[in-house]
Amino acid sequence: MAFLKEYISEVYHAVSSLLKGMRTTGSYFVRPKEIITQQYPDNRADMKIPERFRGEVVMTHDENNEHACTGCTACELACPNATIKIVTKFDTTPEGKKKKALDTFVYHLELCTMCNLCVEACPTSAIKMAQTFEHSVYDRNQLLKKLNNPGSKLRAGVE
Amino acid sequence: MALILECVIVMLLVISLFAVLGLVLVLMERKVAARMQIRLGPNRVGPKGMFQTAADTLKLMMKEGLTPDGADKFLFNLAPFVVMIAAMLIMAPIAFAKGFQIWDINIGVLYVSAVSSVSVIGILMAGWASNNKYSLLGAMRSGAQIVSYELSAGLSIISIVVLSGSLQVSDIIASQQTGWWLFRGHIPAIIAFVIFIIAVTAETNRAPFDLAEAESELTAGFHTEYSGMKFALFFLAEYINIFIVCAIGATLFLGGWMPLHMGHWEGFNHLMDYIPSSLWFLGKTFFLIFLIMWFRWTFPRLRVDQLLSLEWKYLLPISMFNLLLITLIAIMGWHF
Amino acid sequence: MNASQIIFYLISAFVLGTALLAVTTRKIFRSAIWLLFSLVGVAGLYFWMQVEFVAAVQIIVYVGGVVVLIIFSIFLTHHSGSELPKPPLKRTIFSILAVLLGFAFSYNLIAGYGFPTTTSEKPFVVPVSAIGEQMLDTKKYGFVLPFEVVSMLLLAAMIGCIVIAMRSIPKGKSIQKPATPISANGGTFKQVVESTKTMEEKTT
Repeated sequence: MAFLKEYISEVYHAVSSLLKGMRTTGSYFVRPKEIITQQYPDNRADMKIPERFRGEVVMTHDENNEHACTGCTACELACPNATIKIVTKFDTTPEGKKKKALDTFVYHLELCTMCNLCVEACPTSAIKMAQTFEHSVYDRNQLLKKLNNPGSKLRAGVE
Repeated sequence: MALILECVIVMLLVISLFAVLGLVLVLMERKVAARMQIRLGPNRVGPKGMFQTAADTLKLMMKEGLTPDGADKFLFNLAPFVVMIAAMLIMAPIAFAKGFQIWDINIGVLYVSAVSSVSVIGILMAGWASNNKYSLLGAMRSGAQIVSYELSAGLSIISIVVLSGSLQVSDIIASQQTGWWLFRGHIPAIIAFVIFIIAVTAETNRAPFDLAEAESELTAGFHTEYSGMKFALFFLAEYINIFIVCAIGATLFLGGWMPLHMGHWEGFNHLMDYIPSSLWFLGKTFFLIFLIMWFRWTFPRLRVDQLLSLEWKYLLPISMFNLLLITLIAIMGWHF
Repeated sequence: MNASQIIFYLISAFVLGTALLAVTTRKIFRSAIWLLFSLVGVAGLYFWMQVEFVAAVQIIVYVGGVVVLIIFSIFLTHHSGSELPKPPLKRTIFSILAVLLGFAFSYNLIAGYGFPTTTSEKPFVVPVSAIGEQMLDTKKYGFVLPFEVVSMLLLAAMIGCIVIAMRSIPKGKSIQKPATPISANGGTFKQVVESTKTMEEKTT
């Protein structure tokens, strides 16, 4: 008798779990608004890209053309495949002391795997991931980028 | 002379029905799958992707029909036709509308379950003749699966035969004049319906019972080596078989072309009679097809041992017990 | 010769031709397929005679059952793809002799019967319900005894199959219980445990 009871409860649980699965897919079927596919080249104007999408590394500049990169090379050390190369220079402070500063932030987009480790390593949040993704070009050299704008300098107060 | 003309007309109708069904069902499957997976599905060829399957058919026709080296060429080329001819033969006793039936044979449903067992021979033939281990494994799985699931499909068909007291398709439909067997036969009829749907899903090699072609393990199972039009025949036969088993299910459990009638609601019954009988038949059939597609895009594939234990430990005992219950209902006249 | 006769001779030629191919081909799988066609041809003959029930049963039993099992056993053997060796001459001669003898015997029987032409006006229609009633009829010309004997035979065969397939456990040996079932595929696992448990109870 116990066998029969177990048998029936097994069948009952199997049927109810299958119905649960069918309810999920069935509810997607009747709600076409939840479709997440984007018809990319057609909806280029009003495309919605998720915030966490990683397209490329960019350096943020404010309106005074100032960035927050101190040239500490933490990102260069964090990068797993040598995508970032930081060239530093020595500035002289008003007190006459020499101080290390960023000269050029070289970024090889063609090597980057968008792993986000450099952004996490940056102590001053100078770089971030942008959502752009249309990176195809005809010449590989165009993928070699300088991230700091020409003439930009370190924002005051950032150490 | 008139007989030959009739034959030609019937042949043309069946072949064009096959072509239309192939185009419609493949598109429907892709659209249903897309909607269930929150995708869009085919949407490039024609408005809303309507001509996608037509384009695919054109592509398949242009492709080279390859015969692998070391294959048994005669059987390799014969197999798709065996599967296709079996599918065509089952079409005969299906009633598409009131008085629209190719052959109202007096053993209708027995004929259907007999001929449907022929298509497994085509699959076994294809699997063996391809000279490929994947194909052979797929064919063996398919054989074991169809031979075992035929039993419970047959038992659930018999339970409706017991209720209606005839094997003839037109008699079975006529016996549902006052209501469909699914509703009139109480819970045992519903159990028989569920078992029938599960068993025919397995018999047509559809997911979650698609072990015969199991893409992730056997590349494509029994039709791994097929290409071009010969592959297209297998593909078409799969969808035709789905249509046929759903049509049989609609005939047995949902009253075929019989409109929905409710007891003594005269006005309601008259309103239902205005809908053409062919629409009733197609509507019921496509509802069942949708149900089977729903299964495919929800459930994961079974393992071979799970497949066989489902049949021999669960479906077969349940359907045997259910058949006893239905016989009791039929003898005592407890159905509505 | 009318159309019906032409169809009869066509089907007969198909049955005989495929039967001949089934015994002469040297590939065992092809032999099974020719046998299949021969059986389908016989079913076609039944359809031609308008005994649809027998035809459908012929297809279910022979095509759907017997031939599928034959093909299955061919799949499970080694070298099923290679050609068989040519049979020795002695065997060929004796098999031809056996065939001739069988043909002569059955021809003698058929010729002795004579086939008187019956002129029954009503068409030969047997409803399935009549077949069923005849099967369970206890009166004269009823088939209830052979029917029950055959069912007993099949039941015995089924029990025999189960006994052969059942795992026998040697007496006096303790059964090693499998480890506690893992939840991921516990369904089948639990049943294995259970079946060994019941067997243990039986043996002790």
